Amino acid sequence: MSEASRHELRQGLEPCLGRLWRYALVLSGANDTAESLVQATCRRAVERADQFPASARLDRWLFSTLRSIWLDEIRPRRIREAKAFVDAEGAVSSDGAFEFGANILATQVLKSIARLPEAQRETALLVYGEGYSYAEAASALSIPIDAVTSRLAAARSALAKLK
Amino acid sequence: MTVDDTQLVALIDDELDEEAKGRLLAQLAVDEGLRQRYEALREAGAHISTSFDALLGMAPLPQLTAALWSEAVARPASPVRPRIARRDLAAGFALGLLVAGAAAWIALSLARPANDWRSAVAEYTDLYTNETFSPLKPDSSLEALELAAVGARVGAKLTPENVALPGLRFTVAFMLAFDGWPLGAIAFVDPNGSPVLLCIIANGGTDSSLRLEKRDGLPLATWSRDGRGYLVIGRQPEQRIAEFARLLEQRI
Repeated sequence: MSEASRHELRQGLEPCLGRLWRYALVLSGANDTAESLVQATCRRAVERADQFPASARLDRWLFSTLRSIWLDEIRPRRIREAKAFVDAEGAVSSDGAFEFGANILATQVLKSIARLPEAQRETALLVYGEGYSYAEAASALSIPIDAVTSRLAAARSALAKLK
Repeated sequence: MTVDDTQLVALIDDELDEEAKGRLLAQLAVDEGLRQRYEALREAGAHISTSFDALLGMAPLPQLTAALWSEAVARPASPVRPRIARRDLAAGFALGLLVAGAAAWIALSLARPANDWRSAVAEYTDLYTNETFSPLKPDSSLEALELAAVGARVGAKLTPENVALPGLRFTVAFMLAFDGWPLGAIAFVDPNGSPVLLCIIANGGTDSSLRLEKRDGLPLATWSRDGRGYLVIGRQPEQRIAEFARLLEQRI
């Protein structure tokens, strides 16, 4: 692979960094890990620039790459090291130390999103943060469309109870 | 037919086929309880989207960009060694860190006291981006339904025709509250996705004529009539906001 094509890929990657970080943060729930995950994604994408399908969207390919690294490498290690930091369907719990005013709705929403199971957080991010259709989310997550719908309904129900 | 939340959520997200959608809309038209569930789920989704948007503003872009262009990214693969700090594991679990940062950021942006509903709306509007509402593309039946539901809560007759504004597209109507008063919001977008909001609060205020002002750098037009306050706001030239307000004042 030429240096020029690596350079080109990095140029395409740069505008996606913020969204990749948000995805990494929603998956991992920790700033340090999110940054590492994005860096690992960049590294792998640059290494494999020649495997990027010309017809595909770069951002979707990057998301898929990030997800693979999370599921295959980082998440299992975190579970081992943290003794079930997060289980397959487990929720990441916020410790309640951050109270910035109960009437700031967005803060409440973020805290509530943090308490959702990882699968619901991820699905909600893809559909409501990234604009994936249900079919696109189902394909990205390798689950049936019905499962996408039920995860989103559960997430919305949890948030609706805030009121 | 019993309607579960998944069907309502699929309707909100415009993921139902035409037949199922028609059936559900018909049920919504006659079932107040169902409408309330629909509204609660719809509103929750809008808050999720807004909160995810807020997170983007938290991204450590300088560090990420520097890392992208550093030699490390160009080097051949090495095993991923995430920097997992012990404090993360102990205290962390945490979107907590993230929530702290995001909340601080949001708190900062909302630091000025919202001493009236107009300021509160202006502060929230400042958080909306061109991506907040533009993905929402309801059809005319859903638009009519949402407007009727919001109109009923604030005591105004709202229809697709009387809220239509030149050069803007309706995206969503939803309910908020300010100091316990029902506050309806109708969000439009211009061709660039830039939001324009019409807000109506049923606060029993006295009548006042149309007035133009700026808050948080955003032009807004306000007036009150029949115990309801009206507000039009958006990142548009002042004269355009005034034109929208005059049209709405005549029609609603």
